[in-house]
Amino acid sequence: MSLKRTKNTIKDIQRHAFLNACLLATVVILSVMLFSVTVISVSLKKGMGNMRNRLGADIMLVPKGEREKAENMLLEGSRSNFYFDGAVYEKVQSIDGISDSTSQCFLKSLSADCCSSEVQIVFFDPETDFVVGPWIETEYKQKLSGDAVIVGSDIVSEDGRIKLFGQEYAIASQMARTGTALDSSVYFSTDAKSELLKNAEEKGSFLTEEQKKGDILSSIFINVDGSHTAEQIIDSAHKTIGDIFDVVYPKKLHESLSGSLGKITGVVNVISLSLGILLVAILLIINSIIMKGRKSEIALLRVLGHRKKDLIRKLLSEIGLISLAGALGGSFLGALIVIPFGRYIGKSLDMPYLGPGIASVLLQILLIVGLVILIVFLSSVFFIIHTTNIEPYLALRKEE
Amino acid sequence: MLTAEGISKSYKSGRRKILDSLEISIDEGEFIAVMGESGSGKSTLLAVLAGILDPDLGQVLFEGKDLYKLSDEELSDIHKRRIGYVPQSNFFLKNYTILENIVEPFLADPSKEREEYEQKAKLHLEKLGIGDLADRFPHELSGGELKRAAIARALLTEPVLLIADEPTTGLDSGTGRIILEYLSEYVVSGHAVLVATHDDHVKEYAGRVFDIRKSQTGL
Repeated sequence: MSLKRTKNTIKDIQRHAFLNACLLATVVILSVMLFSVTVISVSLKKGMGNMRNRLGADIMLVPKGEREKAENMLLEGSRSNFYFDGAVYEKVQSIDGISDSTSQCFLKSLSADCCSSEVQIVFFDPETDFVVGPWIETEYKQKLSGDAVIVGSDIVSEDGRIKLFGQEYAIASQMARTGTALDSSVYFSTDAKSELLKNAEEKGSFLTEEQKKGDILSSIFINVDGSHTAEQIIDSAHKTIGDIFDVVYPKKLHESLSGSLGKITGVVNVISLSLGILLVAILLIINSIIMKGRKSEIALLRVLGHRKKDLIRKLLSEIGLISLAGALGGSFLGALIVIPFGRYIGKSLDMPYLGPGIASVLLQILLIVGLVILIVFLSSVFFIIHTTNIEPYLALRKEE
Repeated sequence: MLTAEGISKSYKSGRRKILDSLEISIDEGEFIAVMGESGSGKSTLLAVLAGILDPDLGQVLFEGKDLYKLSDEELSDIHKRRIGYVPQSNFFLKNYTILENIVEPFLADPSKEREEYEQKAKLHLEKLGIGDLADRFPHELSGGELKRAAIARALLTEPVLLIADEPTTGLDSGTGRIILEYLSEYVVSGHAVLVATHDDHVKEYAGRVFDIRKSQTGL
C-alpha cells in the first residue's frame, strides 16, 4: 500500500471517528481479556507442571504433626523448622523397596542485619540428592563446598554473594524458576549445617535442643521401586522407625491443586466466554452501525467505478488497521497489567504461578493479534458484503 | 450509444409501478432533458440507464452490451470511463478537499495518473467558475458550488455519456446557466448528456425533451 493510500485509509477512519474509537476500545478490551486469561492460565498450568516435576519424590516423610507446615512451605512459601533425629535417615535407607532416598534439613534465616534477606535455608546431600540437582539452571563444576550455595530463582544478588548469619557465601548456581516457595530458598550442602547452626545461634536465632545437637534433618524424600507400593514402604517405615512421622504425597498434593486449578479455570473460562460473547456482540453492533453510515459513500464509489472486491478490500484494510492497533495496544496493556502482578495473582489463588518469558509473551501477543484481527474481520465481513451489494441508487436515494 | 427497451420498475415499498415498458435511445452529440412532475420516475429512469438500479423488466444496451448482464468488473469499468453520473444529492467526503474528492476515487494505487487527473479536475472547476475552491473542504461550499464540483467529478474521465439528476434544481438562475452551458459545450465535443429536470430553462439547451409520462405505454 502506498503512503498516499495509507494516509487516505487513516483519513477514512478519522471521518467516522466516534464509531471507530468505539471499535478500537472494544478491540483493546477484547485483547486485554484474551491476553490476560491466556497468560494467567498458561502460567498456572506451567507452575503446576513444574511443581509436580519438582516435587519429584513419591513420598516425603516429615516429623509427626508437621504435615501441614511442610505442605504450606512447599506451596505458599511459609518458612518452617521441624526436625527428625539424624539417625532416622539411616534406618529408612535400610527399608526394602526404596529405589532413591535423600534427606533435607530446613532452617529459617533472620530478618536482621546479619542476613541479606529472610529466606528458607535447605541443607541437602549432593551425594544422594535427586530433588534439587535436576533443577539447577547453571552448572557448577566444583563440589559444593561449605562457603558456596545454590539459590532459588527469586534470590537476587548483584555481587554474586549472599549474607546469612553474618557470613558471606558465594552463589555457585541458581535454580530454574518453579513458581513456588522453592524459588526463594537457599540451598547448602549438608556439610555446612553445623557451622551455619553455630552462626545462627551466635546471631540470635533461638535454637531448639534438637538444633543444638546438630545431627538433625527435616524431611526424607523417597522414590519407591517398581515392585513395591508407597503404602508398603510406609508400613515398613512404621515398623522400622516407629510412629514418629507423617507422610506428604507430592503427587496427591499436585492432584488436589490440579482440582482447584480446574475449578478456577472453569470459572475463568465461563466469565471469559460470557465477556467474549458480549464483546463480539458489541463488535457486530458497531460494525453494523458503521456500515449503515457508509452506505451512500460506498454507493457513490461504485457509481464512480469502484469494483465490489476493491471496496471490500478497502473496508477490510480500515478494519484491519484498527484491529491491529487495538490488538497490539490491548496485548501490551494486558502484559503491563498481568506480568507485574502475576506472582500476586498466583499467591492470591494459592497456586504455583510460573510467568512466561519474553519470547513466550511475544509469541502470545502475535497469536492474540492474529486471533483478534480474525474475530473483527469475521464480525464485519457480513455487513461489508451486504453494503457493497446494495444497488447504488437505492443507497443514494435514502441519503436524499 | 444507449438503447433501453421495455423498462419496467416498481419499488418493494410501494405497489405502484414507477416505470412501465419504457423505451428510450440516446445517440452521440445529444442533449436530452427528461421531464415530468415530481414522483413521475425521472430519477429512477436515469438510475436504470446509468446501470445503478436493476430494472424489473427490460434491458439497457450500452454500446451493444446489456449493462445488467455484465460482470461487476466490466460494469465498474464502464462507470469509471464511459458513463458519468451526477446524483441528485451532493455527496462528498467531508475530510477530503474538493480536488481530492474529485480525483482520489479514480486513482489506482500506485497511480501514474494523479498529475493528469488533478490538471483535468482543476480545468473543469475553472470552467465551472469554482477554480479557486479546489483546496476547500465540502462544508465550506454552497449547494450550487457543490453541484458544480459533482459535475466536475463525473466528467473527470471524459465519459461518452453524462447522466445528471436534477443538476439545476434549487440553484439560482445564474449558477444553473453556468452548469447548462458547460453541459452544452460537452455535448458539442461529441459526448451525450441526459438530464432529469423540472426546470423549464433546461429546454433551451436540450436538443430533445423526453416526457416521461407520455413515453410509457402502460401508465
